[in-house]
Amino acid sequence: MNIQFNQVMPFPLASISHGHDSIWGNVAKLESGKKILLNASSGKGKSTFSMTVFGIRKDYDGTILYDGRDIKTFSVDEWVEIRQRKISTVFQDLQLFHKLTVAENLQLKNQLTDFKTEQEIKSLLAELEIDHKWNDPCGLLSMGQQQRVAIVRSLCQPFDWLVLDEPFSHLDERNSLRCLSMIDAECNSQKAGFVLTSLDDDNRFTYDYELKL
Amino acid sequence: MLRKLLFQYQDKRQLVIAVVGAFLGMTFLITSIHYLIKVNDFGKGADILGPNTVIVQKKVSSFNTLNIAKPDFSLSEIEQMKKEPFILDVEPVESNNFNITIETADPSVPRFRGDIFIQTVDPDFLDIKSNDFHWKKGDTIVPILMPRDLLVMMNMFMGSKGMPQISDELAMDIHFKFALKNDTMKEYISCRIIGFTNDMPSVLVPQSFMNWANNRFAPDAEQKITQIMISGKENEFGLVEQMLEERHLESKNAQVVVGRLKSMVGTLILVVLGISIIAVFLSGLVLIQYLQLLLSKNLYEVRTLMRLGHHPNTLVKNFFVYFSKVFGIIGALSLVAFIGFKLFLDKVFESGGLYIDTNLSLLSILALILAYSLFALASYLSARKGIYEQNNG
Repeated sequence: MNIQFNQVMPFPLASISHGHDSIWGNVAKLESGKKILLNASSGKGKSTFSMTVFGIRKDYDGTILYDGRDIKTFSVDEWVEIRQRKISTVFQDLQLFHKLTVAENLQLKNQLTDFKTEQEIKSLLAELEIDHKWNDPCGLLSMGQQQRVAIVRSLCQPFDWLVLDEPFSHLDERNSLRCLSMIDAECNSQKAGFVLTSLDDDNRFTYDYELKL
Repeated sequence: MLRKLLFQYQDKRQLVIAVVGAFLGMTFLITSIHYLIKVNDFGKGADILGPNTVIVQKKVSSFNTLNIAKPDFSLSEIEQMKKEPFILDVEPVESNNFNITIETADPSVPRFRGDIFIQTVDPDFLDIKSNDFHWKKGDTIVPILMPRDLLVMMNMFMGSKGMPQISDELAMDIHFKFALKNDTMKEYISCRIIGFTNDMPSVLVPQSFMNWANNRFAPDAEQKITQIMISGKENEFGLVEQMLEERHLESKNAQVVVGRLKSMVGTLILVVLGISIIAVFLSGLVLIQYLQLLLSKNLYEVRTLMRLGHHPNTLVKNFFVYFSKVFGIIGALSLVAFIGFKLFLDKVFESGGLYIDTNLSLLSILALILAYSLFALASYLSARKGIYEQNNG
């Protein structure tokens, strides 16, 4: 699925000056299957990008097209289908349910499509060294552990695109690399692309291309 | 899991208060509707007179005896009464102006004979099918409605002859005949009992027969109206009774007592019904408010679940099913409590001599189903509104 930004300008960012290579106010394409870095400093609209491309925010001028269709025209059912099978995301604030266990948080996502088996999910957690937290409430986990749970959750569904909003902000280098490797592997197996927003350049991975805000 | 997440902020105390309120409201609602119907039905079918109908005559006083006051009704008096807002209809009761006797004409029963008094009333006042109570010139059998007192008298007679007593059904199979006579002629005509009345002291015959017989056996006699039938509106019998008092009219006491009783009990039950409806409405509001409170405490969960790809309708369904179950439990408990109340109240009525119909009234069950449906619908609409407001898709 190709995603195109046509002169998109979120209302809160309209008063800020954006460069000629910014996706705000210009035409930008997220080409199917590509791995993209979205690099920008604070306040430039990284989370706004994630929210608008995911259909959560609609306060912008211009159009965002999924395979040529304006996302503002999608029905509730279509958005449900997109969020279950087309686009997955890791929110900057993670959006986990703190009173539910790690297992319950992951099952709440996975049960929508039964995309992964429990064993596969546990393997992903083990890869990130948090499998022993399976039955612990998410609220009791450290921010880094919660961030890893949110990343695993985003992989528990089929998708064409994975949108990651500063997904490693609470992770050390080693865990960031593990996560990045896991994300890359999942995207390759699903022939999907991802957009990773970051505060600065990320030299740990070879991205297909970089977008600016 | 969804249920665990969406109902984690429940305030059980508030829920229990709302459930108790709804339970009491629904119990009183169906109980009051049931007894309102049963009290209104009380007396129906047991007799041939329509509901809220009385036969009245003028009170006998010294003035009547001295011929100062007229014992009969003028047409203008009847018209005035008809104009009262609580009166449905007023019609004269016509009587025979000739001599008439009734006797058995059946070889299987001993001969019984007695002078009687026949009357006729407008068929609209009677709870019988007009086809059964119809006579035309040339018909050989006259359908009659017999005062139950006459049957009691017949049974006393049968008992004295060592014969078995006869039931209502058997009496309707026995052949009778009228002997109509004046100074110059006498004729017999067969008659058949088609029903009984406690309200009339006389045998009731079809109006066409009365007209024919009066013209034939008393053509010159003036038809005086000494009794009239008054039909009052439902639950306004007290006003009818007040009018009778003001106009110095009297009725058979039992009719007035039953009418007064039904009127009073009906009004009381209506008040209870009104309070029940308000209680059900308020408790329903509290439950819906509880649902909205639950939703407002779950805004983050609802919003996040939809962002993860859960369909808003799935979340609506969770709330709807939960509250439908709550309402279902309330409805079932109310029905059980109502049946318990009913068993108790029926016994109380019975011990007081009021033999009201003890079957469950369909309308009270329908009221329960309606209240349940309204509650369920309100919970569905509230949940849908609250959840879709949080939907970004």
